[in-house]
Amino acid sequence: MEKITKDKIKAGLEVLKDLQDSKLISHLNSCVHCGLCADSCLYYLTTGDERLIPASKVDMVSSIYRRYCTLTGKVFPGLVGARKLDDANISEMVDLLYGACTMCGRCVGHCSIGVDIEYVIRAGREMLAKMGYVPASLQATVDAALESGNNMAIADEDFLDTIEWMEEELQDELNDPAASIPINQPGKNVLYTLNPREPKFFPLSIVAMAKIFYAAKETWTLSANMYDVTNYAYFSGHPKHSRIIAQRMFDEMQKMQAKKLVLAECGHGSRASRWEGPNYIGKEFPETLNSVELIAGYIKSGRIKPDKELTQEIVTLHDPCNLVRSGGIVDEQRYILKNTVKNFVEMTPCGVDNFCCGGGGGQLAMSEYNDRRIKIAEIKAEQIKKTGAGIVATPCHNCVDQLSQINVAYRLNVQIKTMAEIVADALIIGYP
Amino acid sequence: MHWYQWFALAALAVCMISFAYHFFRLIKLGRPKDYSARAGSTTGGIVYSFTTGMNPRNKESAFLHLPTYTAGVIFHIATFLAIVLFFLPLSGLEAGRSIRLILSPIAFAGAMAGFGILIKRHTDKKLRLLSSPDDYISNLLVTFFQLLTGLVLLNNELYPAYMIVSALLLLYMPVGKLKHAIYFFAARYHLGLFYGWRNAWPMKKL
Repeated sequence: MEKITKDKIKAGLEVLKDLQDSKLISHLNSCVHCGLCADSCLYYLTTGDERLIPASKVDMVSSIYRRYCTLTGKVFPGLVGARKLDDANISEMVDLLYGACTMCGRCVGHCSIGVDIEYVIRAGREMLAKMGYVPASLQATVDAALESGNNMAIADEDFLDTIEWMEEELQDELNDPAASIPINQPGKNVLYTLNPREPKFFPLSIVAMAKIFYAAKETWTLSANMYDVTNYAYFSGHPKHSRIIAQRMFDEMQKMQAKKLVLAECGHGSRASRWEGPNYIGKEFPETLNSVELIAGYIKSGRIKPDKELTQEIVTLHDPCNLVRSGGIVDEQRYILKNTVKNFVEMTPCGVDNFCCGGGGGQLAMSEYNDRRIKIAEIKAEQIKKTGAGIVATPCHNCVDQLSQINVAYRLNVQIKTMAEIVADALIIGYP
Repeated sequence: MHWYQWFALAALAVCMISFAYHFFRLIKLGRPKDYSARAGSTTGGIVYSFTTGMNPRNKESAFLHLPTYTAGVIFHIATFLAIVLFFLPLSGLEAGRSIRLILSPIAFAGAMAGFGILIKRHTDKKLRLLSSPDDYISNLLVTFFQLLTGLVLLNNELYPAYMIVSALLLLYMPVGKLKHAIYFFAARYHLGLFYGWRNAWPMKKL
């Protein structure tokens, strides 16, 4: 790790000094070190490592706040556990804040005080990002998005080829040469986004969503210029980078003049675009909704009709943390499954109490912590096993990726599917 | 007035001024501007944050740790009682003997809970790793404040010691984690505001 310099310290402390954020001030001053958050964190539960409890992560940031921003911390640092920004503490910060937190927010609702632990961790990540200590693999993902327009650096030509190929697949499946995957068509009702994992690794999920749009007779389009729903700078923490990515999305919406921006099945992408995006750029976005809300709406209004009998296997649901706990989307995915599959069973716990799959917080992009990421998935693997399900549905491509890896690591022998894939498999085409 | 009463009054003034600074700084800064489209009720979120959101049945920090949670509740009830009793003479009121006999066990129970929490902090490895001297000092000052409140309710001869401990507590409150007496309310307000805006709170429990 690069040695700390005065300039780096100054850059990091910009986040905490002269704070004008009443919310961050409140949360930095609230933790009483009761440690009761430990049992809500999958890192502590699976490793038993006392360093990894949420309160320790909060203290990493708040101790630096006390050292540089409070009178007591400046005069008697030892008394209040105020820490200096030095190489040892930065190394610990990187490990705890990037390498040992999926930012799932499960601890927040269970905190005895009500500290927004995730918010404090984001402030800590912002400090580290401003000092240049983002783990290299995560920064590479952000850089790919900044330089190419998507986090997987897919070339435009490759993307267009994939879409063309998928359009042919769609036409074959529907037996309709007029079925299409529209690109760059302004003035449609829906501007749909993708997680770049779709064109890169799972192109059939694009076909699944296109089939739903076809069945719902929706007018929609993709944009070849900006289709990436993700914003990995939300995880790395640098506000300048997250702003650039959010601004691109906003500009594309303006250019495409669509009535709605529909976010692909991606937990953090949904959060970063719908909730954080407007705050990154200081402007309100036009109507923005997650594809799960859109699909649930199609079923409720009768625009599409799934046949439950087509999926007889037991299906369980993994809730992405950013959708349920931070986005309030809890009922829609359940409504879809109850109307799409014959045997839907919940995990325990589920919904707002669900455990993270282990892939959140940018963990999937940080190869430095791969072993830890698979280890913390023990809980999710056990949850899945206990349901007896053959299919795990989840409205998040990052979760799909992590669940696919733990499917192998823990020999779960299940299929992992997005909501669009589940619905597409059950669609009655030609209804009503 | 005796010197220890002046001492306690001066400490009270220092504490109040400091807490007023923290409180009015938060008020002045106001709530953060949110540019995202509101999806839920912020009032509903804030109400939930201070009510159902604190229900022990909804919090693992409570229902998975019932002995500690119960000790914490007793500790805080006794603290509020001791604070009320500290201010009582200023209002010209005085607790009668029968009321003193009822209230003193509550103060003692709080002190016992405080000692229990202190022992847990010292013996539990994860808490020991997390703790600084401030955690121990804060606990000890509040615990002794409760203990002396209980004792002075039974025996007025301990009044000077009670005043001195009260003064030390008041002087220390703005220094360390006891500031959560102010920030707890602000933190829960912000949580309710944030999650209420997104329609995530009140939580949709299944």
